[in-house]
Amino acid sequence: MLRLSCSTFTERWPLFIGAALTVSLGVALVQSSLLVLISAATLDVPAGLSAADTVRFTEGAAVAVTVSALTLGFSAFLAVFIVGSTFAFTVALRRRDLALLRLAGGGRGQLHRLLLGEAVLLGVVGTAAGVPAGIATMSFQSWLLSTLGFVPDGFTAQWRIWILGVSVGVGLGVALAGVLVAARRAAEVRPLEALRDSGDAARVMTVGRWVIGVLFTAGAIALIILAPLGGAAGSMAMAVNVALCGSVALSALSPLLVPGVARLLPTGNGAVLGELARANMRDGVRRSAATAAPLIVLVALVLGQSGALTSFAAAGEAEQRRGTAADLVVEATGPVGPRVAAVAGVAGASTEIEVPVAITRSSGEDIEGETGLALVVDPAEYARAHPGAGSLDGLRGRSVAGGPGGEGGSPGDTLGVRVGGTDLGPLPVVAAVPAGIGGGAEVLLPPGLAPAAEVVAGMSRTFVALEPGADAGAVAAALAGIGTVHSVEDWIARDSAARDSTSTSVFLVVMGLGGIYALIGVINAVVIGAASRRPEFAAVRATGLTRGQVVRMALVESWGVTAVGLMLGVVATAGTLAAVLGTTSAVTGHTTLALPWPLVLSVVAGAFLVTGLTSLLTSWSATRPNPVALLGARE
Amino acid sequence: MTSTMTAPLPRALQAAVALRGVSRTYGSGTAAVRAVDHVDVDFRRGTWTAVMGPSGSGKSTLLHCGAGLERVDSGQVLLGGTDITFASDADLTALRRDRIGFVFQSFNLIGSLTAEQNVALPLRLAGRRPAKAEVRAVLAAVGLGDRARHRPRELSGGQQQRVAIARAMVTRPEVLFADEPTGALDSNAARTVLDLLRAMVDAGQTIVMVTHDPAAAARADAAVFLRDGRIVDRLVRPTARTVADPLVALQG
Ligand SMILES: Nc1ncnc2c1ncn2[C@@H]1O[C@H](COP(=O)(O)OP(=O)(O)OP(=O)(O)O)[C@@H](O)[C@H]1O
Ligand SMILES: [Mg+2]
Repeated sequence: MLRLSCSTFTERWPLFIGAALTVSLGVALVQSSLLVLISAATLDVPAGLSAADTVRFTEGAAVAVTVSALTLGFSAFLAVFIVGSTFAFTVALRRRDLALLRLAGGGRGQLHRLLLGEAVLLGVVGTAAGVPAGIATMSFQSWLLSTLGFVPDGFTAQWRIWILGVSVGVGLGVALAGVLVAARRAAEVRPLEALRDSGDAARVMTVGRWVIGVLFTAGAIALIILAPLGGAAGSMAMAVNVALCGSVALSALSPLLVPGVARLLPTGNGAVLGELARANMRDGVRRSAATAAPLIVLVALVLGQSGALTSFAAAGEAEQRRGTAADLVVEATGPVGPRVAAVAGVAGASTEIEVPVAITRSSGEDIEGETGLALVVDPAEYARAHPGAGSLDGLRGRSVAGGPGGEGGSPGDTLGVRVGGTDLGPLPVVAAVPAGIGGGAEVLLPPGLAPAAEVVAGMSRTFVALEPGADAGAVAAALAGIGTVHSVEDWIARDSAARDSTSTSVFLVVMGLGGIYALIGVINAVVIGAASRRPEFAAVRATGLTRGQVVRMALVESWGVTAVGLMLGVVATAGTLAAVLGTTSAVTGHTTLALPWPLVLSVVAGAFLVTGLTSLLTSWSATRPNPVALLGARE
Repeated sequence: MTSTMTAPLPRALQAAVALRGVSRTYGSGTAAVRAVDHVDVDFRRGTWTAVMGPSGSGKSTLLHCGAGLERVDSGQVLLGGTDITFASDADLTALRRDRIGFVFQSFNLIGSLTAEQNVALPLRLAGRRPAKAEVRAVLAAVGLGDRARHRPRELSGGQQQRVAIARAMVTRPEVLFADEPTGALDSNAARTVLDLLRAMVDAGQTIVMVTHDPAAAARADAAVFLRDGRIVDRLVRPTARTVADPLVALQG
């Protein structure tokens, strides 16, 4: 049987190379993401850092861990999804061969074993290529993380020998998982199907597809409903996962949707070619669906993730604008409030000083710990400078208030608070400002509670309100001696630009390589699809189409499928955006949506460009042989 | 032929394949097509029967039902006395391995395997490791001893069909089912294939062959004529002339 696989390999190598390629890239990506994650999680705080720097370092490391974990999650998802869809497609393309084996006396068990054996072989080959590729990927990912500032310079992910076991497991696992369902179905193939392409072969919408489609649609809807309830942090993850669930659902259901959408496409004025392409799309539902699937996932993940990130960033900016009532902002070090207030023309000044904090909260048996930033504030001035913050009158003496970061508890709780190296003991939470979508300090501290050394060294922001009629320029000039002065507008714009660049970085790390992987999945499907169509191309050429016309027909068809994939991807993205609308409205009270249009446009143009080019090249090479040579051999 | 005796017939008198009141309908409702309609027919052991009739009259379907490739809606299919009407997939697989052989108009060879490997395939699927000489002998019997290492696309149509026949015969099946085996061949290549089949029948092989070609049917021992899924005529010792007349009548 294996000899049969080997000789099939020589005949249908694009199929097998494509399948092995998806396995190896999946292995590389998962292996590298896992190693980077572990290296980031075990990052040691360098000796000799001050308390504030230590907090900053651990905060940064925590972000690096979160981002790497997200990357790992997406990589694993993509590996399973892309390998699965590629394998299912390659098995489907060989259905006639398999039926022929049945006709010659092959049993179901034999077919099943043949396909599983091939999957193991492909898994092994893919892993062997994937492990070294993973090492290259790892140095790229570490470079990306440190270039974007998530980890300190000189961060290198460490190779661990046990990862070999994991990679082999991943390679074999995804290959077997990918082929399992397809092999079961293929083993059911009836020998008669060798003689005609009808019956079960034409029934692409299987029970499995229905189940997956319905389950994941339900999952996506549930996430849209739940996202607004997830709080500022949880809802982001849920919103992005809507697109993920939606894309899986739509890929599973795509055989239902492709023909319908195909009918909507304009046939254009090249009437015959257009019609032929449209008919092919409908008739080759399996091929269309296989090409559309990775595209749907690619579009949904890229647009969903970036749309959510930019929308949340925009919501954060809008929130900050609404929540700030000041004219100028002074950035300085330590408690500069009295000096600012003394300047002529200043009506109010809320100075907020950042100090590093570690919070412990005991709920029942568990003790949860959290490190982050606290702000030392003047309660009355803070409430005046931040409309909507509510009253902080109770915040004095030994007490704290929950900050906009949202992890500082609510009134009635008791927190263990430690600032820098000093333990302040258990403190009651007496108030809480609303959690912001943009995050922020975990707790607010009244003046005089935190150790003076930390307060003097802490970075401070002072929100300055001017007296009516005061000359902003003159006041700013007078404040320049205290710290750097910005107008509130400038300050918010700078702050949100910084936030945007962070979200762009997160997006690059999480989706960059995954996006390339999905793109390769798309290319792969186009190549495999065209390679198996030589006889069909030969037949249409024999009926009078020129080679150029065949290539154009294939191009129109693959653009049609691309359009379908993009549309369905956009539908899945729309799910994420619905969740974003719900979340921003629930968290900030205002619905906010901001789309990264340049990215959207480049994804659309890029998809057409890549599938178009691939289709041109593959159909050109598939039509190279003289058509008669192919028509002669009746297999 | 249709005996009322209840005791099993002696093996020599049993039909190699018998269909009893077999019907097969495709589709449902108004689109339903009754491809085979209450057909009773025996294909005798060691004889060659041609199945003829206009296009769409149900010849292929009849053949598929007889070979256990297609389920029947009603009736009974007997293969050498074994009732295969409700045989399981595993049983049917076993049948295909050693009791039934197929040849089709499209040669259905596996393009990636050489002629030799194609011929050896059924034996290897049955778990046997055929000796090279055994496979070569079968290929030689169809006149292709020197083409063992060629792939299908390097062979002419007639040669490919002979490889397909060699593949069907390598398991020494009780019955060879052939659906228009000469349909895609020119008259010379067709004659070679028909000579081959004739020689096999003379050596005791049972063959059921669907054909459009009166010349092909004339080489057979008997002919049955189908129209709209029913058997409308039978001939013993057909000749090109005696076959042509009922065919013309059926077409009309
Ligand atoms: N899988 C199928 N699904 C639906 N209808 C079918 C199917 N196979 C055959 N038919 C119909 O059954 C009838 C008999 O078909 P069959 O293939 O047996 O004809 P035939 O006599 O072999 O014709 P030909 O000489 O053209 O090969 C035809 O009307 C055909 O349309
Ligand atoms: Mg037929």
